[in-house]
Amino acid sequence: MSAPGATTDSAAARGRAALPLGILALRWATLAWTAVVAIATTNDMRHPVLAWVALAATFAWTLWLTLARPASGPGPSLPRLLVDLAISVGLIVVTGIVNQPGALSGRTGSVFSTAYPIATAVTWGAARGVGGGLVAGAVLGLALVVGRAVNGEDLDALRTVQALSLAGGAVNFLVAGAVVGFLARVLDQSAVELRRAVDASLKASARAARLAERESLARQIHDSVLQSLAMVNKRGRELSAAGTVQGAEVARLAELAGGQERALRALLLREPAAAPSGRASLRDALEALARSVEGPAPTVSAVGPLWLPTGCVQELVAAVRQALENVAEHAQAEAVAVFAEQDDDHVVVSVRDDGVGFVWDPEALRAQGKLGMLQSMRGRAEHLGGTMRVDTSPGSGTEIEFRVPADELDDQEDDR
Amino acid sequence: MSEQAQPGGRVRVLVVDDHPVWRDGVKADLEASGSVEVVGEAADGGDAIERALDTMPDLVLMDLNLPTVSGADAIRRIVEATPHVKVLVLSASAAEPDVLEAVKVGASGYLLKSATSAELVEAVLRVVAGEPVFSPSLAALVLGEFRRISAGTQSEPGLTARETEVLKLVAKGYTYKEIADKLFLSTKTVQNHVQNILTKLRLRKRYELMRYAIQRGLDRAPD
Repeated sequence: MSAPGATTDSAAARGRAALPLGILALRWATLAWTAVVAIATTNDMRHPVLAWVALAATFAWTLWLTLARPASGPGPSLPRLLVDLAISVGLIVVTGIVNQPGALSGRTGSVFSTAYPIATAVTWGAARGVGGGLVAGAVLGLALVVGRAVNGEDLDALRTVQALSLAGGAVNFLVAGAVVGFLARVLDQSAVELRRAVDASLKASARAARLAERESLARQIHDSVLQSLAMVNKRGRELSAAGTVQGAEVARLAELAGGQERALRALLLREPAAAPSGRASLRDALEALARSVEGPAPTVSAVGPLWLPTGCVQELVAAVRQALENVAEHAQAEAVAVFAEQDDDHVVVSVRDDGVGFVWDPEALRAQGKLGMLQSMRGRAEHLGGTMRVDTSPGSGTEIEFRVPADELDDQEDDR
Repeated sequence: MSEQAQPGGRVRVLVVDDHPVWRDGVKADLEASGSVEVVGEAADGGDAIERALDTMPDLVLMDLNLPTVSGADAIRRIVEATPHVKVLVLSASAAEPDVLEAVKVGASGYLLKSATSAELVEAVLRVVAGEPVFSPSLAALVLGEFRRISAGTQSEPGLTARETEVLKLVAKGYTYKEIADKLFLSTKTVQNHVQNILTKLRLRKRYELMRYAIQRGLDRAPD
């Protein structure tokens, strides 16, 4: 059972798998009953030794069927079915031989074994469907008649009741084989149909999810990327028709395309993850901030998504925004990089530029009107229980680092 | 393809990208620099492996999203067959795990397609000179990878404190030169640290494969 979708085992499939076990139990029960009958009536039999030999053979066969039972896979092979049928036919005929003449119809003597062959009819039904069950039942019924003949009865001389009883025995085999065959087919079919239905519904829901994702992607692309492409296309044509081209005009187009490139990449970069409740990804927020900045975009790198309480993410992003504004205003930098990580007990965010740098002198900075911004940033970090560090010197760029204790952030969340 | 005469000193590059427009643009940028010669082009992963073995370039410049054989698989096979050939990844939209995988299996650097021509040429020359080219975001990815490791088993090579420091500064956007000034080291020493980080990352990948093989009983020779 390794068909696709087989993981969704239905009750029908389980029932179908249990059928062979049930038949095996039936074999042992009928075999035990046959043994009991044989013990009780040994003295009445014509050929008790033959009865015991037949019993031993049936026991050996049943034992082998039990031990060599495949764990799963297709039902019994045709040779196995035929041997089984032969043994049951043999049992029925032997029943005719070992009993005293007339014992079978007269109910005066013993009946050796007609129970075990039922299991054979049922096995055929389970393995080969209604048709198989009927064939086996017919053969066994015929054996029943032969058994009577062998027993020494004159079949023509049977009374109506006796004839009906014989026919009833034969019909029992037919019915047992056919009913179990029908049952097995129904179980098989419902298992297959259920699996098919489950597969179809899984496919449908996967398709729906894909379509929804595609639709939301398409909307985002339509909103920003397509519009920008249209703009680049239109302005590009206009510029090429204008003859003389302003460098600044082309730069604006490049910026437009660059912004969309970054937005689209952010969309493709990683699998979207569900945010834990009340939290937001600091990395995603910083990337969004970087895209919204005018001029050369800062690179953002972060170790992991950094899920922090939403309020804390907003505060940190606000601090980084101020730092970036500061860079744009004063640093004359070529490259700006934002880095965020969480080590054992701190969330660290740094903004680093390769610009002109400055001398860390509060008085001079106050005089230049730069102190307010720095103090505002420091205030945000301290509000989160953290610190701000400025590492700069003239000519070697500036690094501003916000360092906030992680457990402090969790406490703030708990207060909320 | 016949071996072309190698003009003195020019770096020989194989360009792998499934977009012909990009291949042409990259080729033009590289050759305009005068220091690079494009010795071959390939449009998919399988082709890339074949051409790399054919042309024995100094460097393979490749995209990761490729038809037939994936970028990472192609890199692994190229580096296995010809360890002296360097690989630089140039990608527009590679997902983070793919980039990390590419570096683990042998790429010496990663560059976005939005890089300028000058940056591209510089990166090619640096990688050929034996200097790994790490973008800040790749450094952050690698940092995260080693964090995961140190949280796990101790049997695999982790980073020294100095290597972690260097990697963090790369992630913060510092150049090797700036890092050297900051830490009072030579630029060469910083490069060596980055190279060691890369080596440890690849070693880890091998440990991973070995452990997998041992678990599956693949280390025993068949009877």
